[in-house]
Amino acid sequence: MNSALLQAVELALLSPYVWLVIVVSSLYGTFMGAIPGLTATMAVALVVPIVYFMDPIPSMAALVTLTACALYAGDIPNALLRIPGTPASAAYTDDAFGLTQQGKGDLVQSVCLLASAFGSIFGALVLIALAPFLAGIAARTFSVVEYFWLYVLGLSCAVVVSRGSMLRGLLALVIGLLLSMVGLSSVHAEARLTFGRPELYQGINFIPAMIGLFGVSEILRNMFAPRLSDLAPVPEEAGAAGVADTTWRQRVASAAGAKATTQGLPFLLRQRWHFLRSSSIGAIIGMLPGAGADIAAWVSVGLSKRFARHPEEFGRGSLQAVADGSAAKNAALPAAWIPALVFAIPGDSITAIVIGILMMKNVTPGPDIFTTQAPVVYGIYLLFIATAPVLLVTGMLAIRAGAVIRRTPKRILLPVILVFCITGSYAINGSPFDVFVMGAMGLLGFVLDRRDVPSGPIILGIILGTPLEERFIQTLTSTGGGLLAFFGRPMAAMLGLIAVTLWVMPLVLWMRERRRAWST
Amino acid sequence: MPDAGCRTPNAGRQTPGVARRARWLLHKTARRAVPALVALLLVSSMAGCGGGRDAFPNQPVVLICPWAAGGGTDRVARQLAVSLEGELGVPVNVINATGASGVTGHTRGALARGDGYTLTLITAELNMLHWRGLTPITPADFQPLALLNRDPAAIFVRKDAPWQTLADLDAHVLANPRALKASGTALGGIWHVALVGWLTQIGAPADGVRWISIEGTAPSLQELMAGGIDIVASSLPEARSLLDAGEIRALGVMADTRVAQFPDVLTMKEQGVDVAIGVWRGVGVPAETDPDAAAYLARALERAVTGSDFREFMRQAGFNWDYQGPQEFTATLAGLDRRFGTILGSEAFADLGKGVVGPRVFPAVLVTIGLLTLGVLLGTRQLGRTGGLDTFSWHGAARVAAVLGAVAFYLVAGESLGFVITTFAILLALMRLLEVRWPVALLVSVLVVATIYQVFANVLRVPLPRGVFGW
Repeated sequence: MNSALLQAVELALLSPYVWLVIVVSSLYGTFMGAIPGLTATMAVALVVPIVYFMDPIPSMAALVTLTACALYAGDIPNALLRIPGTPASAAYTDDAFGLTQQGKGDLVQSVCLLASAFGSIFGALVLIALAPFLAGIAARTFSVVEYFWLYVLGLSCAVVVSRGSMLRGLLALVIGLLLSMVGLSSVHAEARLTFGRPELYQGINFIPAMIGLFGVSEILRNMFAPRLSDLAPVPEEAGAAGVADTTWRQRVASAAGAKATTQGLPFLLRQRWHFLRSSSIGAIIGMLPGAGADIAAWVSVGLSKRFARHPEEFGRGSLQAVADGSAAKNAALPAAWIPALVFAIPGDSITAIVIGILMMKNVTPGPDIFTTQAPVVYGIYLLFIATAPVLLVTGMLAIRAGAVIRRTPKRILLPVILVFCITGSYAINGSPFDVFVMGAMGLLGFVLDRRDVPSGPIILGIILGTPLEERFIQTLTSTGGGLLAFFGRPMAAMLGLIAVTLWVMPLVLWMRERRRAWST
Repeated sequence: MPDAGCRTPNAGRQTPGVARRARWLLHKTARRAVPALVALLLVSSMAGCGGGRDAFPNQPVVLICPWAAGGGTDRVARQLAVSLEGELGVPVNVINATGASGVTGHTRGALARGDGYTLTLITAELNMLHWRGLTPITPADFQPLALLNRDPAAIFVRKDAPWQTLADLDAHVLANPRALKASGTALGGIWHVALVGWLTQIGAPADGVRWISIEGTAPSLQELMAGGIDIVASSLPEARSLLDAGEIRALGVMADTRVAQFPDVLTMKEQGVDVAIGVWRGVGVPAETDPDAAAYLARALERAVTGSDFREFMRQAGFNWDYQGPQEFTATLAGLDRRFGTILGSEAFADLGKGVVGPRVFPAVLVTIGLLTLGVLLGTRQLGRTGGLDTFSWHGAARVAAVLGAVAFYLVAGESLGFVITTFAILLALMRLLEVRWPVALLVSVLVVATIYQVFANVLRVPLPRGVFGW
């Protein structure tokens, strides 16, 4: 093992070529993640023909760095423009953007970057320590029933974390779930809610929906201001831009964004236990194929609200929500490689590409990959850790570049964002229908936003609606229709109990309050 | 404040005299330079938009992949694009038109302009979807140009399953109808058809093994490992890792001869069950494509597909490479289509989708919950308007309408005017609406459109509407 580790260090960390690949892919990944509509999956798919010609370690370096950076970079437009770059970021969009509106933009960006980087390292450590052990457990315990409850849990958390009353969150969730029903249902082999329109067969793609619900609705909200002078730029950081940098060294540091980037560190250190909890949740959920970073971020923010000192801030501008969600999503990423490496079961389209590339390199994923291909596996571990500092530097530059957006007058910025939203929505599938979805969702988000109904649960509803229904029906078909099947396996019973409690608890609390109100 | 467009917040902090002078200088230069700069940038933004040569092909070719990025078909498409680019001398861009079990991509490919610039990576579902009434598109809507590969179906069980050979499983299924559960794809998908083909051959009823509809081979294999189902039907390469690890066993492959890369897996024929079903991937163009362009593409495809790079990729990725030219492939497709018609027309698939939970149940439950929630919210007056920007104004409403109008304009005009003109018009109009001054609005519009176009269309090669001018 030690010789394999040494070999991996030599292959992965001591080669200038690998470092070059890491730097280039981190820039590319950050760019792709930060532009709304360009996703990590698309970023990976576009480089497949290139990485195919590389050796295993450099090609893995490219993929590891690029996915980690793209996943982080989704936080940048999330806080700046209220457009989540990835669905995982949507779990705390209103918090991150709310804080930016309050003039704490640099702090949010710094917390996102640091939490993402540390989350990545944590996830990588889990991958190193427990991969073969956990992969076996995950593969043998998680059948369709357990997945059903996991999706229920994720959706419940989306309702719990949303601002204001749970009822409004529930309304948003139901809208999202209904939207997910549109199109051809594969379990029924039948088209639903398509009103005879062939375009609706493909269903509602969540990326244009996300761009519309958050980005376009924000543009509309700004445009709705009665006077043009209301389109004021976002308030500048108190003390950040006003104070002139006097010495040369200070000027360089401020230009590189070092000071701004590290200002979230004290906060994260104070929150270290929350950070550990969120990253663990991220790593555990990330390991389950098909669950991934999205559910991880939502569940982690949901739990975070339960333990928070200021739960009322959630959904409006809670730094803790941002930190916990951001850490969980990046911790989920390395963990998603566990089932991919051990059983060649891809958790998402990115790991599917990874498996494909590994097979092309004659590295066959499987339980014996730790013995037969040890240098490659250790190399991947090391790369996940080596990526973190690169991510910090690239993130710093990206935040610096993004700050320009905060200083651009909104009357220029809003039309430009709209064009980016349109381009991104179109580029996903090359389909005008997706642009239509973006526009329609923008209007929906705008109307709901004015009634204080959150958009986050709609997104998660669109993503998880189809698998939720499929898992429900699969469970019933495999047992022949008994509802007891949902509690028939130990893990299913446990997850089901948690989910039911999540919904019954607020009801019980409410009834008790009512009774107390009656008696007094 | 008419000049807010070019003012930065920092400008106010400088001494007033310097600021005024700087602004005056900016105005003076801007007024002269902007038109020239705009013209220059417009020209440069078109750079790389093709159009030097007259002969086919002289602009980028699109390859539609009906399946998601990252899947097996997507990988084949992207590798083929690389090889084909070398033959055609123009970029070949892969577009993932996914959704609806392949209906979306095949439909878009079949209905594309017949100019030879849109190819489709057609897959086995082309033979199946129209028999199930999901699309009017049939193989006749395509001109098949090249077959790329064929992967036969195989049957897998867990390592601790009691059945050592196919005969053991046959006997169990015949003795205990509907006791076992299987998956591999959604209901009525290719592997389901394969399983029914096997059941029919051994004389079992078509629903002798219950099919659990799980979309995708990977989640089906996960379900097999977790003990939720007993059998998985899929291709051999998709299950390779678990097979090599000894976690699962292959009982038979539905081909006439053994698959070269899996010499130990017996064919079903060897075990007395005569069935051969599998997936295939190929390339087609719309049926009424210009014959010269189609012939040119077919020759380029033959060189690309039979080239050593592509063959080596297919071998390493575990796909069973199998090339056929246009004539042979057309005949193969027609034969397969008849065979799938017989299987999918049988009574086994007649009541497809009539499961325990009908297609209307979930939407109905959701509508009920939604209406209840809405009722409570309205009843308790919780849905009032909030937020600071509450006051309604016609100006505000007009601006909202303008944004939505811009999206509508893109939908109506994008495909005919092309990306550059459409987005330029949108940017300029909206900025003028927000009273950004002409020079600034022009400059920003040109810069933004040029940058997006260059990055998206030329560097990343993601699809943008091309329009009549090609940009």
